[in-house]
Amino acid sequence: MNRTVLFIGIAIIAVVIGILFTGLGKNPNEIRSPLIGKTAPTFALREVGTGRTVDVSEFAGKPVVINFWATWCGPCWEEHPILVANARMLQPNVQFLGVVFQDEEEKILDFLRQRGSGYPTLVDDKGKTAIAYGVGGVPETFFLDSSGVIVAKHSGPLSADLLRENVQKVMRQ
Amino acid sequence: MTRHSFRFAAVLLLAFVVFTPQGEAQVTDTAGTLRVPDAAQFVGEPQGTPLTGDALNLRTHQVGQLLRCPVCQGMAVSDSPAEMAVNMKQQVRELLERGYTEEQILRYFELSYGQFVLLKPKFEGVVGMVWVLPVIALLIGALVLFLKFRKLDKDPESAAGPEVAPGSDPDDMPAADPYVARVREMVSGGKR
Repeated sequence: MNRTVLFIGIAIIAVVIGILFTGLGKNPNEIRSPLIGKTAPTFALREVGTGRTVDVSEFAGKPVVINFWATWCGPCWEEHPILVANARMLQPNVQFLGVVFQDEEEKILDFLRQRGSGYPTLVDDKGKTAIAYGVGGVPETFFLDSSGVIVAKHSGPLSADLLRENVQKVMRQ
Repeated sequence: MTRHSFRFAAVLLLAFVVFTPQGEAQVTDTAGTLRVPDAAQFVGEPQGTPLTGDALNLRTHQVGQLLRCPVCQGMAVSDSPAEMAVNMKQQVRELLERGYTEEQILRYFELSYGQFVLLKPKFEGVVGMVWVLPVIALLIGALVLFLKFRKLDKDPESAAGPEVAPGSDPDDMPAADPYVARVREMVSGGKR
C-alpha cells in the first residue's frame, strides 16, 4: 500500500512538473497565431509621407510581407536594413508593407530618411489593424501567400535567413 | 433656381461630402478611403443592444477585465496604462457601442490573439485541465483520507499500538514485529 501511494504521488508530481516545465518554458510571444492558415484581415491605411491610401487588396495575386514596427523599438532598427534590402531584391514579385503603430509621423519620416525605405510604410491609428492581426509587440511580421492567406508569422527581429525561409514558404503556396 | 445659386448648392453639397467625419469602424471599399479590419468580418453583425452612458462605461470596464493586455505581465486590459491596452479597451468600447455582445467581443479578440488573450481560460481542450486537475487532486486526497480513516476504524488496536500494563517496562514485552525483535537483540548485544 505504501509503495503504491508513493508511486502514485511520484507520478502526479512528475505530471505537474512536466506541465509547468512545458508551459513556463514557452515564450508567450511565440505562441502560434490562430490566424495562420486563415485569410488575412484586409485594411487600407494612409502611407507616411505621401498621404495616399494603400489598400492591401491592391496586391492580391502575389505574396505580401506585412511588418509591424515602430521607431521606438530597438529590434525594429536591427531588422530594417534586412527588410529593405530584400524588398528591393524581391519586389514586385513579393510586396512588402510596413505598418507602424503607437508612433509619431515626424519620427517615422526621420527614421526612413536616415535609414532608407524600400516599400510603403502605413500608419495604423489607434492600432486597430495591429489588434486584428493579434500583434502583441513589435516587430512582428506576417507572410501572406498570393491568395491572401497567412502562411507564417514571426515575432521579434528577422534575420536574413529567417526572412528568406518564410518568403520561400509563401512563394511555394 | 438661377445658375449662380445652383453652383452654390453644388459647392455646399461637395463640402458636406468632403467634411463629413468618417466613423472609425466604417467599412467601405471606395478607393482612397481608409479602412481598418472590422469585427463584422470575424464575428458577424452585432447581436446585442447598443450601449451608451454609464452602462457603456461599466460594461467596457467589465469586458476589459476579461482580456489580457498582450504587452503586460498578466494584467487586464482595464487595469493597464499601456498604449496597446488603451487601444484594446477603446475598441471594446466601440464594439459595445455598436451592440456587440460580450461573447462576440471576446471571440473577436480570441480569433486574433488565441486563448492567451482570455484571462478566464475556456473549459475545453488541454486548457480545460486548469479547471479539472485541482478537482481531481482534491478527490484523490479525500479518497486517501477516507481509506486511511476506514482502516483505523476497522483495526483500532493496531493504530493504538500494543497495550502496556501499568508499572511494566515496554522493553520487556514480546515484540510482534521481527524487525523490532532484531533491533532489541542488537541493542542488548544478545545479553537478554
